[in-house]
Amino acid sequence: MSEPSGTSNELIDARGLYCPGPLMELIRAIQTKPVGTVLTVLSSDEGSAKDIPAWIGKVGQEHVETKKLDGYWELVVKKVK
Amino acid sequence: MEKMSVILASDEFEKLQAGCMMASVASVSGIEVNVFVTMAAMACFRQKTVDDRRFPKIGEVGQAALRKKAPLFSDLLIQGKEMGSMKVFACALALDLLDATLAEMIPVFDEVVGVATFLGKAEGSQVLFV
Repeated sequence: MSEPSGTSNELIDARGLYCPGPLMELIRAIQTKPVGTVLTVLSSDEGSAKDIPAWIGKVGQEHVETKKLDGYWELVVKKVK
Repeated sequence: MEKMSVILASDEFEKLQAGCMMASVASVSGIEVNVFVTMAAMACFRQKTVDDRRFPKIGEVGQAALRKKAPLFSDLLIQGKEMGSMKVFACALALDLLDATLAEMIPVFDEVVGVATFLGKAEGSQVLFV
């Protein structure tokens, strides 16, 4: 890995999980990663596509972007604290 | 720290699911959550009931949740405890009435308490009665 520590990317494929599964998978991953990690969540659940940004705002992490793809959403989050 | 208390008193499966989801998501969102399981809800926390998925009151949505393998209320509580700040209390009276102990229940409970103790823990919090 040539990336400096703390900036690694993490992919969480939570497609097929029901609400609040994708959010829970994100939280499980974010808790174990260093500050600076960028996490990408794939979710086929529409509720989670709205819930994840709401959770990010509530706990003060950074919402990088949400993209609607073919039948699922891609949400990018940066761990800032 | 923001606080929420969830009182689970019903044995309707969907109400347990909804209450536990509220509690769990609040817990992982940095809210201190205290859950009190009392009255009819207590019977649904028996390990055997959960293992057999034989809930006394379950409607169309609940049946679909089981069929589609959505996470059960018990799993939601465990997640909320693991990843946040949540405590789950068993009502002493309900256990007495059922002639049951915590050993027969799913392993989510932190303590057996009475209402007065729970009210102390719930002081100043938002309360959901389900």
